[in-house]
Amino acid sequence: MTATDRAASAASAAGGSPRRLVRVREVRITHEGADAAAPDGASLDVRPGEVVLLLGPSGSGKSTLTLALNGLIPHDVPAVVTGEVEVAGRDARVTPVSVLSQHVGMVFQDPDAQLVTGTVLDEVAFGPENLRVPVGDVLARAETALRRVGLWERRGDNPDRLSGGGRQRLAIAAALALGSELLVLDEPTANLDPQGIDEVYAALAEVVASGDRAILLVEHNLDAAVGLVQRVVVLDAHGRTIADGPVDDVLRGRAQELHDLGVWLPTSTLAALRLRRAGFVLDPLPLTPAELRASLEAQGERPPHPAEQPASPTPALAAESRAPLISVRGMTLRRGRTEVLHDIDLEIGAGEFVAVVGANGAGKTSLVQAIAGVLRPPRGTVRVDGLDVARADARALAAHIGFVFQNPEHQFIAHTVHDELAHGLRRLPAAEADARIADVLARFGLTGKEALHPFLLSGGQKRRLSVGTALVAGAPVLALDEPTFGQDRARADELLGLLAALNADGTTVIVVTHDMQLVTEYARRTIVLRAGRILADAATAEVFADDALVERAGLRLPPLRQALHGMPRHPSLAGIARIADLPGGIA
Amino acid sequence: MTTVRAAVDPYAEAAPASAVRFLPALNPLAKLAGPAPAMVMLVFVRDLATPLAFLTLAYAVLLVGARTTARLAVLLLVALPAAAVVIGLGFSLWVDPAGVDHGTVVLRIGDWRLYGGAVGIGLATGLRLVAIVALALIAGLTTTGPDLARALVQQLRMPYRIGYTALAAFRFVPRFRHELDVIRQAHRVRGANGGAGPFAAAVRWTGYVIPLLAGAIRHAERVALAMDARAFGAFPDRTERHEVPFRARDVVFVVAFLVVSAAILALFFPWRPA
Repeated sequence: MTATDRAASAASAAGGSPRRLVRVREVRITHEGADAAAPDGASLDVRPGEVVLLLGPSGSGKSTLTLALNGLIPHDVPAVVTGEVEVAGRDARVTPVSVLSQHVGMVFQDPDAQLVTGTVLDEVAFGPENLRVPVGDVLARAETALRRVGLWERRGDNPDRLSGGGRQRLAIAAALALGSELLVLDEPTANLDPQGIDEVYAALAEVVASGDRAILLVEHNLDAAVGLVQRVVVLDAHGRTIADGPVDDVLRGRAQELHDLGVWLPTSTLAALRLRRAGFVLDPLPLTPAELRASLEAQGERPPHPAEQPASPTPALAAESRAPLISVRGMTLRRGRTEVLHDIDLEIGAGEFVAVVGANGAGKTSLVQAIAGVLRPPRGTVRVDGLDVARADARALAAHIGFVFQNPEHQFIAHTVHDELAHGLRRLPAAEADARIADVLARFGLTGKEALHPFLLSGGQKRRLSVGTALVAGAPVLALDEPTFGQDRARADELLGLLAALNADGTTVIVVTHDMQLVTEYARRTIVLRAGRILADAATAEVFADDALVERAGLRLPPLRQALHGMPRHPSLAGIARIADLPGGIA
Repeated sequence: MTTVRAAVDPYAEAAPASAVRFLPALNPLAKLAGPAPAMVMLVFVRDLATPLAFLTLAYAVLLVGARTTARLAVLLLVALPAAAVVIGLGFSLWVDPAGVDHGTVVLRIGDWRLYGGAVGIGLATGLRLVAIVALALIAGLTTTGPDLARALVQQLRMPYRIGYTALAAFRFVPRFRHELDVIRQAHRVRGANGGAGPFAAAVRWTGYVIPLLAGAIRHAERVALAMDARAFGAFPDRTERHEVPFRARDVVFVVAFLVVSAAILALFFPWRPA
């Protein structure tokens, strides 16, 4: 600690501001085998009771930095750490994880990968037990922690019986029970459905309300998180701290700069930036749907530039005039003994971009898997481009419809990228096959990777290869199951951009998802399932304009719809669901 | 989003049972130590009576001491007898006919004869194997994985890092089963079946190994980080909320089982020169 730092901390102590829990200065972390450091020059402080949001573009080393806070880096994960990482006055680079874990509790992204015992109570007791806390105190801590996240009544259950949101709340309780003053959450809702996200943030709000724990949050779902946060730290693409201050200064004050940097912003903020360009006065910049709504309502009845009306209403459905490419007739599907889909009728035309949405267990994945022949539908009920899916063999199916699984690794079957693509072209003459493979490699940005094992590709490359293999045999339809699940925003955006481009070139795209903003941004048509039946099948804007329908389906309104729906003073905005439809786009 | 659910909950607390069902309350190590010598001796006996006596003993202990469930009934009344017959007949075809008693011919197909002696040896073998399994079931059917791990740590002083990591690994099983199902589905859709027959099946299964292993290693790494983040291994021992004590009744069970085993062996003394 330098003399000036000492003076500064003494001054802040004298000024009534409490001591620092975490002090990070100019930290550079290079993973073993990596050639560049990420983060590369990160600095941040966390004081008791503070809620700090750590933002940064993909690859800036946010997760790496969180792992360094409780010593998992460099003690468990080999890496070179330079700079200062001080936790509760100790140097985190040389203090054992077991000591640091009493000061820093961690919650990771995957709820399944952080549960180790057989009951909810044992799970919360696990940490304190490791710290040799006496039995009575273990139980007292466990009860307090479980009550705070609302799981005390379920203490005897196997964690497997909890929902995704429930398991993530359990992970929060387990971190609370360690007694640490700081809770670090790394993308805690990336693997959750909308209801789980709500549950986790409700639990976190409880923790924040009691004020005894500081929280450091890495999160891309800012729509949910922003309401809790007091201070924001932003890393640039290299992982250097470029902003550190209150939410108002950083998120509201420097929103455009952060957006240009590739940092994900709340949907309402993105919308507001655009509306500002169209002449709306939105000051301060709204961060939540409620704020956006309130500041729009506070304005005059008409937008200041009435000439700049939304570019175009939602494009008409492409299916109308053409014969359907996919037709589902009276399909009833069983999985095991339960009937998961009841008497489904459906047509999808060539060139459509269709989203299939619904609450958990509504049958979304089953429907799309039956269309793609992953599950066998009853004979004659599903036809893709004239082919009866129930009778088709794998090769015929691959030429008509490609299916992309949630995890691309599951569907790789060959030992090189080239063979992976060639597998779908076994019947073609070698020269023609090679030409097609070269074309797919170029189209999906994989040129030069032919000889690599598919598992050695980066995450984004794996995903692109999985889409490439689904399309290489010439299938006009691409079906994807939760393609953005568990991915960071940048990768999700890259994938959706790719799908939009394919769709523009004529590929029909069907996507199962629970990301409602994604649905409204990309899908022109939305099919809503509930309990194995089609509840609605219409243009996306129409579906989300119907509040009652959205609620009945157990869905959430996408953030932009929450802000804009039914605004009496701005009828021209009230029907908009996509940011792209807002006025203020660059013409 | 897909959730993984276990079909059978390996952690479920045993529901309270009447005092007669004494097995679930015993220390897992007692339930292993009592029958162990008998299981070892059974490997070396050759007659029919000894395995039959131990089989009866194991059945009696299980039927009295374990909670009666459909699973127990099916195992004891259907699966084990069927296994004894199938293994017995299998072995009777396999034994060297030159070395058996040719006194009776059970079956004759052309020149080939199945002698009564061969059937006797086969059934004795089947019975021995089934008796060993039945004795193992005394512990196997009435012990939960967590209790065994705790007993190993508490009584046998196994390092808790090993015992409790094994416990955490129980959670992997349903997850991997689900993952394997998805991989098989994905490969089938891609037309990676490669045809029927054992050779194609072998090729197919090797194709599942890489994605399964990649997923497993990544998952295990994450779980390890999560455990360390919660101070796992901070001290040489940890607070134990569930004591699995070794009580007087455990000693009684072990001693009683050993005495009965010795009595059976003495009574039938299977190594008497013929």
